[in-house]
Amino acid sequence: MANKRFDVTHVPGAATIAIVTFLALYIPVLILVVNAFNGSDTAGRWEGLSLRWFAAALDNAAFRSAAVNSVIVALAAALLSTCLATAVALAVTRGRQIKGQGSIVIIVNQPLLVPEIVFGIALMVVLAQVKQVTGYQGLGYLIAAHTTFCIPFAFLPIRARLAGMDLTLETASMDLYAGRFYTFRRVTLPLLLPGILTGFMLAFVISLDNVVVSSLVKSPGQETLPTYLMGELRRNLTSEIYAISALLLFASISIVAASWVITRTKQ
Amino acid sequence: MLDIRSLSKKFGSGDSAFQALKSIDITIEEGEFFTLLGPSGCGKTTLLRLIAGFEQPSGGQLVLDGKDIATIPPNHRPVNTVFQSYALFPHMTVAQNVAFGLEARGTNPAEIAPRVDEILEIVQMAHLRDRKSSQMSGGQQQRVALARALAPRPRILLLDEPLSALDLKLRKQMQFELKRLQRELGLTFIFVTHDQDEALTMSDRIAVMDGGTLQQVADPRTLYDHPANRFVAEFIGEANFLSGTVAGGKLSLSGQAPVPLPHGADASGPVTVMIRPEQVVVGSAGGNAVTLDGQIEALVFSGTDTHVTLRLENGDTLSLRAPNNSHATTTFAEGEPLRVALPVDALRLLPEDIANAA
Repeated sequence: MANKRFDVTHVPGAATIAIVTFLALYIPVLILVVNAFNGSDTAGRWEGLSLRWFAAALDNAAFRSAAVNSVIVALAAALLSTCLATAVALAVTRGRQIKGQGSIVIIVNQPLLVPEIVFGIALMVVLAQVKQVTGYQGLGYLIAAHTTFCIPFAFLPIRARLAGMDLTLETASMDLYAGRFYTFRRVTLPLLLPGILTGFMLAFVISLDNVVVSSLVKSPGQETLPTYLMGELRRNLTSEIYAISALLLFASISIVAASWVITRTKQ
Repeated sequence: MLDIRSLSKKFGSGDSAFQALKSIDITIEEGEFFTLLGPSGCGKTTLLRLIAGFEQPSGGQLVLDGKDIATIPPNHRPVNTVFQSYALFPHMTVAQNVAFGLEARGTNPAEIAPRVDEILEIVQMAHLRDRKSSQMSGGQQQRVALARALAPRPRILLLDEPLSALDLKLRKQMQFELKRLQRELGLTFIFVTHDQDEALTMSDRIAVMDGGTLQQVADPRTLYDHPANRFVAEFIGEANFLSGTVAGGKLSLSGQAPVPLPHGADASGPVTVMIRPEQVVVGSAGGNAVTLDGQIEALVFSGTDTHVTLRLENGDTLSLRAPNNSHATTTFAEGEPLRVALPVDALRLLPEDIANAA
């Protein structure tokens, strides 16, 4: 004890707790991924490595259509929510001080506060009426619903980036004969881009993963990847479900990793 | 060239209002190195921001080449700024930074590249034209900021404490280079600083500001030799203040025999008298002088001269600088008596300063 070097940052037991937490989080996911590579006909009995269930999943038209729907909805929702979030973030941190800026931030973050199931039921009730009146049954409802709850996730990194940006840069731009739009295009937007990209990726992943709102808002016969998986689970737990889950996991990890790489190189 | 007429600026309103500038009048000449000097909060930066157009004045006019520009937005004023933080665009290279003002202004693209090369050559940064600003030292960023502001050929260059982030050696070198550049280009510079040395060495004229008002506008020598008031005397250089009385055209100081008033001075009643430490003579002086006796309280050797703090018989202190060019200063010792003389023509009679008296 006497010769142990003193370290302010050392907290006894923290490393152990971190390792246990880490294992608790990742072991179940690891088991799932391993099962996706099971060559056996029945899930749960191990019969060697195989990619057959991935092949089966990719062959499955219902899966493919759900996957396409998920990607379309996630892309559209991420794009829309990022644009809206950028506009709100600019309004809150730039230009004239608007009265009640704090409440704007709270309103934007509303989907984080309202329980998802409540939000989903509310949307379901309203959209059921809209569907009846308009007769439109397409992906638009899912896109709109996903856009709303994706906004806070897109908003957070953009606002953080804006808050850390030196306002003098925009002043300097104006001083150098640039108008407001030119300043936005040449100075603000390029500096904001890493935040916008992170926001977009985050929104995309959040949308891709959503079950509750999707299952309440989707029109009959429409499936996204998570709602398709939920439906399949109710019937039978097959190795194909493991394979699809693993695919979804890989997609999420790739996107988050890509966003990390992009923001790192942009700094 | 630039006429600042009763310019004022108030921030906020009602009880929380703050009057940053109170009716400023200055005329700045073409090709002048003009400095705004004062302690922080004196309004010098506010005045610069008004000239740049980042703030709108609450009253008054800014007449540039016969045209009132007070309400014109910054991007339509032929005035560029070198910012204290440099504010270089971090996502652009040196050359892109310098080209920005020309591009934003819609300069013919064929003329931009040669102008960027020319101006980078002038500030000796041509070899780093493809660097990003994050990969440069403070001194290099400073040069790029200067090049960026000069590239669009402004009528006036505004400099907001541009040297304050540099270390002492680099600052001295940049002071010299800025002054050389200003002379060569024949451009009007308006320079903001709180550093009186910087102001004295670089400026053609200096406006000393305090509390949102002008204290004195003059060339460096006049400011130093004939400060308009106690604030200016204290802010520029070191100063001793003694109280005296003027009666019948004669000045009595600290109970000493009356002496004639300094040349050109005119006052009566109680006065504040100022003398610079280097004007105080050790021993007796010829001609008209006030002789004072005291005890040496502190001695500081500083190479070329010795700083002496003298406790006078009436309890006041007087500081003086005795040159080390003779052996006289080697005999000084703390606690020993010393006789000094204040030549009358080195004395300055200052008006009683209401702000400082309170």
